[in-house]
Amino acid sequence: MFPRVTAVLVVHHGGDHLRQTLEAIRSQERAPDALVVVLTEADTVAREQITKISPTHFVDLSQRLSFGEAVRAADRVLDEPDSDGDALWLLAEDSAPAPDALARLVATLETAKSVAIAGPKLVEWHEPDRIARFGRSVTRLGRSVTLVADELDQGQHDGMSDVLGLDPAAILVRHSVWRTLGGFDPGLPTVDDALDLSIRARLAGHRVEVVPEAKVRFAGAGVAGPETGPKARTTRRRVRNTRAAQLHRRLVYAPLVLAPLHWLTFLPLAVLRSIRLLLVKAPGAIPGEFAAAVTTMFSGARVPRARRRLKSARTVGWSAIAPLRMQPDEMGRRRQHAAEARRERARGRKHELQFLGTGGGWVLLASIVASIALFSWLFGAGGVSGGGLEPLSNGLDALWRNAAYGWRDIGPGFMGGADPFAGALAVLGSVTFWAPSTALLLLWLLAIPAAALGAWFAASRLTERGSLRAVAALMWAFAPPFLIALGDGRPGAVLAHVLLAWLAFAAFGAATSWAAAATASLLFAAVIAAAPSLAPALLIAWIVALAVSGRAAVRLVGLPIPAIVLAAPLVIGQIDRGNLLGLLADPGLPTESTVPSVWQLALGLPDGSWGGWNSFFATTSVDFRIAVSALVLPLVIVALTAVLAPAFRSAVLALGAALLGFATALLATHLALSSSGATAVPLWSGAGLSLAWIGLVLAAVVALDALRRGRALVAWVVLAAVVAAVVPTAIDLATGTVAVRPAAVRTLPAFVGAEAENDSRVTTLRMTPDADGSLRATLERGAGTTLDEQSTLDATALTLSADEEQLAEIAGNLASRSGFDPEAAVREFGASFVLLDDPEVDDRAAVATAERARTALDGNAALVAVGETDFGTLWRFTSAEPDASAAQIPPEASSWLVGAVAVVQLIVLGATLLLSIPTGAGREADRSPQRRPARRPLIRARKPKPVAAAGGAEDASGIVAAGSDDGMTSPPGSGSLEPAPKTEPVDDEPQAAAFYDEHPTTATDDVEPSADATDGGEPEASEPPRTEPEPDATEGDDDGR
Amino acid sequence: MAAERNLGRRLARIGARGLAVVIAAGIAVGALAAAALVPWPEHRITPPSLVVKPAETGQLRVCPGPLLSLGDDPDEATTASSVGTTSVTHGAVPDDAEVAETPLAAPENPRADRDGTPLALTTEAGAVEAGMLAGAQGQQVSRDTIAGYAAAACDEVVTEAWLVGGATDVGRSGLVLLSNPTAVASTVDVRVIGEGGAVDAPSGLGITVPAGEQRVVSLAGLAPNLASPVVHVTSTGGGIAASLEHTVVEGLTPAGVELVGPTATPAEVQIIPGFTVPVDGGVDATDDHAEGDAFPAVRLLATGDDPVQVSIDIAPESGGGGGSIDATLEPGIVSDVPLGDLDAGEYTIALEADGPIVAAARATTGSPQAQTDPDGDDREASVDLAWTAATLPLLDTAVIAVPRGPNPVLHLANPGDDEVEATLTVDGDEREVRIAPGTTEAIEVEARGVVELDGTAGLHATVAYSGERALSSFPVRPPGPLDSPLRVFPH
Repeated sequence: MFPRVTAVLVVHHGGDHLRQTLEAIRSQERAPDALVVVLTEADTVAREQITKISPTHFVDLSQRLSFGEAVRAADRVLDEPDSDGDALWLLAEDSAPAPDALARLVATLETAKSVAIAGPKLVEWHEPDRIARFGRSVTRLGRSVTLVADELDQGQHDGMSDVLGLDPAAILVRHSVWRTLGGFDPGLPTVDDALDLSIRARLAGHRVEVVPEAKVRFAGAGVAGPETGPKARTTRRRVRNTRAAQLHRRLVYAPLVLAPLHWLTFLPLAVLRSIRLLLVKAPGAIPGEFAAAVTTMFSGARVPRARRRLKSARTVGWSAIAPLRMQPDEMGRRRQHAAEARRERARGRKHELQFLGTGGGWVLLASIVASIALFSWLFGAGGVSGGGLEPLSNGLDALWRNAAYGWRDIGPGFMGGADPFAGALAVLGSVTFWAPSTALLLLWLLAIPAAALGAWFAASRLTERGSLRAVAALMWAFAPPFLIALGDGRPGAVLAHVLLAWLAFAAFGAATSWAAAATASLLFAAVIAAAPSLAPALLIAWIVALAVSGRAAVRLVGLPIPAIVLAAPLVIGQIDRGNLLGLLADPGLPTESTVPSVWQLALGLPDGSWGGWNSFFATTSVDFRIAVSALVLPLVIVALTAVLAPAFRSAVLALGAALLGFATALLATHLALSSSGATAVPLWSGAGLSLAWIGLVLAAVVALDALRRGRALVAWVVLAAVVAAVVPTAIDLATGTVAVRPAAVRTLPAFVGAEAENDSRVTTLRMTPDADGSLRATLERGAGTTLDEQSTLDATALTLSADEEQLAEIAGNLASRSGFDPEAAVREFGASFVLLDDPEVDDRAAVATAERARTALDGNAALVAVGETDFGTLWRFTSAEPDASAAQIPPEASSWLVGAVAVVQLIVLGATLLLSIPTGAGREADRSPQRRPARRPLIRARKPKPVAAAGGAEDASGIVAAGSDDGMTSPPGSGSLEPAPKTEPVDDEPQAAAFYDEHPTTATDDVEPSADATDGGEPEASEPPRTEPEPDATEGDDDGR
Repeated sequence: MAAERNLGRRLARIGARGLAVVIAAGIAVGALAAAALVPWPEHRITPPSLVVKPAETGQLRVCPGPLLSLGDDPDEATTASSVGTTSVTHGAVPDDAEVAETPLAAPENPRADRDGTPLALTTEAGAVEAGMLAGAQGQQVSRDTIAGYAAAACDEVVTEAWLVGGATDVGRSGLVLLSNPTAVASTVDVRVIGEGGAVDAPSGLGITVPAGEQRVVSLAGLAPNLASPVVHVTSTGGGIAASLEHTVVEGLTPAGVELVGPTATPAEVQIIPGFTVPVDGGVDATDDHAEGDAFPAVRLLATGDDPVQVSIDIAPESGGGGGSIDATLEPGIVSDVPLGDLDAGEYTIALEADGPIVAAARATTGSPQAQTDPDGDDREASVDLAWTAATLPLLDTAVIAVPRGPNPVLHLANPGDDEVEATLTVDGDEREVRIAPGTTEAIEVEARGVVELDGTAGLHATVAYSGERALSSFPVRPPGPLDSPLRVFPH
């Protein structure tokens, strides 16, 4: 009997796809015997179109069902198959078969009775000479891979017949087999449904074949199989579904005993794969990874049902399909090709810095020489101290404990969030793990070269010219706020200054890579940790950058996340105290400074001095203020002329940063948020000035880069003036007449130090005569308070805690003739020693207080005088015991919350760190907006061969550089700050963009560029990172532009 | 046509660029102006602190003990043994507070058993306020080697004391009495500064005074042949009370004794109230060659490192014109400045200097020559010597113990600019005293009595005795700052 073919057409949308599909069905040479149309939540257009053709059966489903379910619904209205020859032809609204397609498929089923499923060659909807999908297989580990995808059809695959699996669209299935196998697995709603059916058919002893002569145009609109589209969300969903399908199949195919083991591995695997996703710069796929694992793990009865269905139909062993699996050597070959393609792409995109070629080496050398000249007296020192510098905790455990939420071991101690700065110190201290305090010495010695390099790299994003890069680097390295912070011993301000330029560099690069974006977010966190007063300005800068960076915004949007996560415990703590302003307080040891005037601020002088110029001009009639102003003015003037440059937006953004920095510095002069004894310590305005300075330097670079003549001369004059302005400061530094000095061996008397060797918690009650005859009382544990123990929560406290009141009570009574029980200090705080600091000799009130305290302590029978030391007079409690219980960190300080906070912070930082490792070259789409290719070369590059298209980026960028207007070439990738720079208007830009934008799709999507016959498309399921979501997302944006 | 359009375009571009620069410069100038001119709000935190009022403690005073005489026993020429007993008077407010008398050990004094030892006066914690316990002692002696009247206050312990007085030239001897009533041994350094500068005397350093004992150091042993010593006593460990016994022997005749208590700590302004000159006479201030003790003089030492100009105002209590003397002090050199020819009477000496100084004034009841000179008036002429120390301003309340002695007079000096109305309470009888600014009131008080003062903030007070062969005084000291509230910053 003549076999009966029932076409099942699943329709969701009406429109052009459906119209062409219906026409194609109508014009079949061998027309199907019946047409069942399944409407799944179809729109009215589709209804109208369907009613016109009056199908044999008509199933209207009010809900959106998967392709498999829709076909099952159609199958229900059909009769039992009369013979084995009867077949179902599974069509979707977007699969338009060629006129001879059904005939050829049916012929295959007829000629070979063993073939149960025959699949056509799916070709691109708009380009029928390109193969979209053609056959599927699985690797030995069960990953689904396409045999051929997105290749030009030159008949190179026409010899294929037996395959392991198929894509669902337009396959012809024997109706009886369909019924026996139970149709598509409901556990595989979109991906791998037909593959799974094919595998089950094979295990039931049937064969599955592709029919190369049967061509079906396929649009991949998501009715049959996953939706293939450029949108990021589509891609993410496809990746997630692919992974879920793979996991589902793994549970279904595995031997029963192994299935639970597989189930257990899903979450750990998701974690490991997420790490890999970070490394390959595909962070967007991570949620899908976990969603796939979890939904598959808890999919209810789907897996058992699928296992039953498989078992019931199975007649042959798994070994029967082994030869049809993708062979490992073939997979290896595919991987090699992919890597080659990536390298090809990366070559075109890499930012050529030419560090040595443009004189970066000389800048480095000059800054190293300057550092040696300024800090010669620090060489050979064991550490650096003075100002706000203190040693770091001696031991990585203490260092990192102080960086985490938990016990703040300062004074009597309390529970609270750590300053993010302590985290920065922990990182620094871990570099020199054998002696963490050495890290600060290294920071001081390397600060100037590190700052110079950072500015050099940042400037390299704005100019190709070595001289301008060098000038920018040196202006940044010799910035007045930087040198003054170095002299004053302000580790936070120094670190912030060094990192700001690097942050600018990384932020410029964020448009081109996830690695740079993640690095920028880490630097952002570090800068804010080192100088929280910069947080408002940097957040504003971030919002502005988001607004103007167009499609690069995706990578910038997460910029503050590490900073927020690090600071969260501190923020909550300050909100709890109602002292939000306290978040801006400078971390580390509160260090007093004179509040500068507006004039001084405008010159970049944060410490209320005139940069040493007042003593320089003391003998002449020249006003030193005007002299130093005249030296800084050239930089400001040149920076302001940046608005003349073609890179107008860069100029405005840089000048805006300068203005923000100045506003921050001004704000700082009006705030005193932390206290040190009786002194309210003003906020350090130098951090704001650093921001202002980098804005000026970058604006000056933009301005000078646009100059046609005399560029180098003006640049070096500006630099010379700036360097001259800091000469007195530099002389002070070089001669060591600054607060910073080589560190002493200890910060507490040797007697206490010796005790601390045995008892790391030995407690010293330190009394310091303070202003107006008051007394400052602090507790120092072990060998002395360390820099990482400092806490802004403590320094900005507006009220005293109960412990602190008790400490004050005890100290006040010890410093008086009193009936108070002196043993309370031992009992409550485990104090072993009392150290009375020598007062300032010219402060009579302080001398009187010291005298009073000395008399009282001397006359106290509970204390034995140890004697005068370099640090003051020392007494010891007679009842002091080693390892006093009151001196220990209370056990309740290590609660579950401490661990939980640390874990969350470590996960976020670790993920950012992984993301920042630059492994993504060539994997990522370039979001740098101005790399706008001319259209013609691209079309040429694209047409002949995908391989050539991959290299197109390189050509394109070269062409941009050459084609830039009036000779002011901006280098490729010159920054997210400049999303739509000066390029002359291209009239047909959208078209060009559209053409261009298709290119990354082909390049980054899972396409194997090689046209090898045995070489299929890159498996999308196996390589989720390469199905990078974001590049596609932005193409959508561009199309709409 | 095209050229024109190009030109127009270029002009427009130049104009736009110029405008951009002007705007940028305008914003920059505007930012500076706003920064400088707008009164931006300030936020400066107040560092949190706690004013700690020390827990109440027992009050402690220690009296120097009986007068000592060196070399009374020929076998023990270096031993200072006591000469008679001293009479201690003490009082407290409230007057029902129990005052315990604890004798200190005086192991160096062989006659301690008979004559008694220094006394420590203590009250229970909280029984009296700080400063409201007072004690004083007075002793009249008349021996072959030592004669005269000496009164002294029982003092709080200190860690630093300036004793201005004494001499170690011919016939003069001095003993530094160091009493440690505390529970902690004290290590005392005694440094002597003379008219030639600081005396190098290593034996004066590191003297250990055990808890509850008195040690005596011979001034002559440390610094012989000094006409004008100043003794600077510092202690570590337990505090001490230091005083200097100054005895004068002219020829073989004893010519006076005095117990010099600590004078006011170095300061630019010093007040010496109640300076009693029993007889007319004196030496002109410009006389460089005045020797001996027999004329009123003030002893000055600039404790700083720079020369000091000092103006000495001598104002008679009875009113009328006083004298003023200007002197220049070399740092570290003690100067005795004669106060000129003064009428017998009581004076208040005000010293104003441009650097920190210590000061005390000396007077005698008569010239020792009057005794030794065969043509002298009277071999039995009254001869005694007294040092009147500079005082510190009193607090609002004070209590004074007036020991036995001839004609005790309380001098209340008001160096301030406002009249002070003080209340004296003696045995429950209240008495108002008005002291005009710049004047001193002399109030006769009962010997062996207790005087309670109220409303005396800023006044300076001395109790002076004068009589037949008797001249002495002791300053009324405010309580030390040890008990006062203290602001503590525990950050």
